[in-house]
Amino acid sequence: MSPRRTASGGLIDRSRSIRFSFDGHFYSGHPGDTLASALLAQGVTLFGRSFKYHRPRGVLTAGVDEPNALVTVLRGDAREPNIQATMLEIYDGLTVVSQNRFPSLAFDIGAVNQLGGRLLGAGFYYKTFMGPVFGPLKGTRFWMFCERFIRRAAGLGRAGKAADPSRYERMNAFCDVLVVGSGPAGLMAAKQAAAGGARVVLADLEPRLGGSANWSGESIDDTAAAEWAAATVAELKARPNVRLLPRTTVWGYYDDNTLAALERVTDHKRTGRKGEPRQRHWTIRAGRVVLATGAFERPMVFPGNDRPGVMLAAAAARYASEFGVLPGRKIAVFANNDGAYRSALALREAGASIVAIVDVRAEVSAAARELAARAKAEILAGQAVVATEGGKTLSGIKVQAFDAATGTLSGDARSLEADFLAVSGGWSPIIHLASQAGAKAVWDEKMQAFMLPPATERWTGAGACSGEFSTGEALAGGAAAGSWAAGGASATDPVPEAGGAALDIAPAPVFEIPARGKAFVDFQHDVTADDVRLAHREGFISVEHLKRYTTLGMATDQGKTSNIPGLAIMANALGKQIPEVGTTRFRPPFAPVSVGALAAERYGEIRPERLTPMHDWHADNGATMYSAGLWHRPMIYAKPGETVDQAYVREARTTREKAGIVDVSTLGKIAVQGPDAGDFLDRVYTNMFSTLPVGKARYGLMLREDGFAMDDGTTWRLAEDNFLMTTTTANAGKVMQHLEYLLDVVWPDLKVHLTSVTDQWAGAAIGGPKAREILAACVTGTAVDNDALPFMGIVHGEIAGAPVVICRLSFSGEMAFEVYSGAGHGTHVWQAVMKAGKPFGLVPYGLEALGTMRIEKGHVTGAEIDGRTTARDLHLDWMLSKKKPFVGSMMMDREGMTSPDRLQLVGIVSLDNRPLNGGAHIVERLDRETPRDSIGHITAACYSPVLRKHIALALVRSGRSRHGERAFVSDPLRDRFGAVEIVSHHFYDPEGKRLHG
Amino acid sequence: MVDQLSPLEPVLRTGRQGHLADGVGVRLAETQPGSIVQLAAWPGEEKALIRTIKQVTGLALPDGAGGGVCANGKAAFGFAPGRFMVIGEDENLAAVFAGKLSTKTGTVTDLSHGRTGIRISGPKSEWVLAKFFAIDFALPAFPVGSGLSTVHHDIFAQIQRSGADQFDVYVFRSFARAFWHALCLASEEVGYEVI
Repeated sequence: MSPRRTASGGLIDRSRSIRFSFDGHFYSGHPGDTLASALLAQGVTLFGRSFKYHRPRGVLTAGVDEPNALVTVLRGDAREPNIQATMLEIYDGLTVVSQNRFPSLAFDIGAVNQLGGRLLGAGFYYKTFMGPVFGPLKGTRFWMFCERFIRRAAGLGRAGKAADPSRYERMNAFCDVLVVGSGPAGLMAAKQAAAGGARVVLADLEPRLGGSANWSGESIDDTAAAEWAAATVAELKARPNVRLLPRTTVWGYYDDNTLAALERVTDHKRTGRKGEPRQRHWTIRAGRVVLATGAFERPMVFPGNDRPGVMLAAAAARYASEFGVLPGRKIAVFANNDGAYRSALALREAGASIVAIVDVRAEVSAAARELAARAKAEILAGQAVVATEGGKTLSGIKVQAFDAATGTLSGDARSLEADFLAVSGGWSPIIHLASQAGAKAVWDEKMQAFMLPPATERWTGAGACSGEFSTGEALAGGAAAGSWAAGGASATDPVPEAGGAALDIAPAPVFEIPARGKAFVDFQHDVTADDVRLAHREGFISVEHLKRYTTLGMATDQGKTSNIPGLAIMANALGKQIPEVGTTRFRPPFAPVSVGALAAERYGEIRPERLTPMHDWHADNGATMYSAGLWHRPMIYAKPGETVDQAYVREARTTREKAGIVDVSTLGKIAVQGPDAGDFLDRVYTNMFSTLPVGKARYGLMLREDGFAMDDGTTWRLAEDNFLMTTTTANAGKVMQHLEYLLDVVWPDLKVHLTSVTDQWAGAAIGGPKAREILAACVTGTAVDNDALPFMGIVHGEIAGAPVVICRLSFSGEMAFEVYSGAGHGTHVWQAVMKAGKPFGLVPYGLEALGTMRIEKGHVTGAEIDGRTTARDLHLDWMLSKKKPFVGSMMMDREGMTSPDRLQLVGIVSLDNRPLNGGAHIVERLDRETPRDSIGHITAACYSPVLRKHIALALVRSGRSRHGERAFVSDPLRDRFGAVEIVSHHFYDPEGKRLHG
Repeated sequence: MVDQLSPLEPVLRTGRQGHLADGVGVRLAETQPGSIVQLAAWPGEEKALIRTIKQVTGLALPDGAGGGVCANGKAAFGFAPGRFMVIGEDENLAAVFAGKLSTKTGTVTDLSHGRTGIRISGPKSEWVLAKFFAIDFALPAFPVGSGLSTVHHDIFAQIQRSGADQFDVYVFRSFARAFWHALCLASEEVGYEVI
């Protein structure tokens, strides 16, 4: 038998044992246990070390509000820190280590920090990181040196460096009603809404639905509340219109009733089944939301309140009732409200003796007194706990007379022997989601708590979250909320009746006991009551400043147990009421969310691959692929032993001497159809298209509204009202959006339809002196000679039985043809052309050779059309029609757009016969030490096989007038400096003789 | 006519995969129809276009975007105002429409090579699709025959519900393999069969 496990009771499965390890020691628990309950059952009280002072810490709560018991879970090489032991379900093989301690949890060197309490108070970092002079380490440099040690000493868990092997997924859900929280109110709401025919999602962060019904010990409809909850859950589960989401934390409330939730799918298993994600991220779009999120019990602030063995009273009762664990044998209770008396009775009934109930109130209600009597507990009314005793576990407490009205102590303190202290400082409704939804919380003087704000979205509250603290109220409130959520459906069954004592749990307005010693407000960040007062003395009186200066309410728990006590102490220091001080707006997430879950299926795969129709042929034939945007494209087709440079030089040279073929399927292709298509193209291109004959193509340039160049490409007129526009690969989407915007917003009167047909067509460009002969050898149904297929002409034919459209145009500067076929025929056509080209020496070439040949020809791409260049900068003045307006025409002649000292496209030749690099600067005077006075930059560079030189295209100030000038390349990043000559961008065949054959 | 080469050809392997203890959750298949044609009406000509679709295919579409119908190996659905997808076994569907549709009514665009049709069927098909798309796939919200345009992870998709637990998803051909891989991965937990 475990030392703290009760002989019977609880909802754990005592018939099975689970073995797990904590800090290398093996323990056992039962299915249904959390790590916290299983370790408490084994008598473990020390779970971790505190953030700053390395004080020993135990378990404070039994749920998602836990600030102390944070552990690191190890799975293989992956480690996940800062997991709440109270939320971690144990499984066979679970391996957990404690954190923020060295060398061990029991003996932690960092505990020496407790001696420097005053130094480490609020604002420690702000005050000290403008430090002294120690030799060469002056001021902040000294602290930057110290920072690594300080950060190591102060902190939470350590993140691992190994990649997370887990799998994550996202899920979209739509429902009429989302119920958050599955306590009695949530279950009733879900039941009522489902009975009304609504599609219901019921989410709860706990593995076992039922909330407080699982441990309250009350009865509902004359059955044990836990049994009622289980039966109701079963009933809901059987309904086709209900989806139950246990282990699911609804963490964010966004606009239009969109909520974010995290489901822990396999965190409680040693291994998931095949394909199961570790976590699933839900985006839930709900018609209406019922917030039945319950309330957090608050701790009291008194010296030594962080010692292991001090726990919230309801949490202690829950461990006893739900997990069959007695967290102590001789238990003292410290309270400012009646609710703690019920917890005391639960602990007594589980087998503990209640040493005393220390109550700050002088008067205690009859109902509470009856509970105390049943618990055989002495009530010490009008007294307060002023200290705790013990080491890493509690051995006793000190109590002293206390006047709740004045907040003053009197008389002498006396000791009480106890191994456990259950504390209750009142209750705070869990209003986080409602606050996220946009409304300001409302202070309730009676409950000394912020209550749900008025609804700003389509939600309502139910249960303790809505101030309905008794189970009876919660059941009624849940039923009403469910009815509202289902659109006013009336109740099908009467609301169940709840048993149990009717207690008024409104607390006395006491948050702190003013005794000497470290009294903690924020356990997770080691913020004491004195820290809050220090912040006040130093002028940080706004609640926002208080939070940031003291770190109160920060870190993984976001102040779930500390916000209200902290506000109360600040309000007291200011001499104001709590609502005058205000509170911070809750922000998502309610509880920590793993980044992996947010990335979901994108984890490990940021972008989908986009493949051309001939992709597999390229891969099978030695292509080295690389990504160009989403596309995967061949870089080179290296022969054995070839370097990248050797391969592209060979490919480019062979193309110029014989023939080459390149996959151009990635070019953006847009079908522009309709009777106004020609007119539309005239408006978006700088040159005329309405006059283009059917069966002809034309090179087009389009500008942005501001007159800068946007994109270029050829557009083919396939029929009178049917054009095929091509765009650069990179700008395909942008151009499509631009055109759709113009049609939808600017010229909705034009009858033009746009459709992306990029994927409809496979494209292969065949260029070189032998290109026409190769086509003639494989094309049927049409001639390809100069008469049938002149420059920019289009013909229709077949290759190996597949229909093709061929346009004679050139990017390489050679006589070239673009052959388009249906994408599904792409590989078939490509192979047929390769076969026909074999006798002519046809080679496939990749993007490196493509880039080389376009640089030699001085053709521009996205590197030059970079959003900052004009048509004139790129020597495309000839394309600016003077006969018609077009997008950008009104702005392109502004002074700055026509200035002669603009960056203009030029060619660059390396004079030291060394390679040039894109991005390198061009300078007139070389200064290696202090590079300066850039007159432009290189946009693309290559080794030119035909010129046998390293060349580049560049944008250079007043480039047109600099041809023949000497300049220098200045590339300090790559340590490349040297002389260059500025030349025309037309390096090769400037007259264009070769492309005309 | 030369057969189309599917972009899924190297990766589509028939058989069962994933968690099969609870049976096959979804069945995945490439539909490979003869034609996928987009029809777009000029404003005010939508009804005329719907009449043409019925004339050519026999499919009587409801008016308005999102409505659709599947019958006799043919399918049609409106995926945007005035825009429809028509899918059929006839490889010349685009040409037939081009012959029937007046240019005063609208335009015809053949996308038979440009889109890849993937069919997801089975009891867990809604569950699997919900991983990808922010769409309410419940039968009352998305009845049989209806269709829509949406996007997943940069991948544009048009989806038609072709049965109570059957959906046909049309994606750009260049993205088909990436989408297929993702689909198989997402289907693993419910067990899937490629047919």
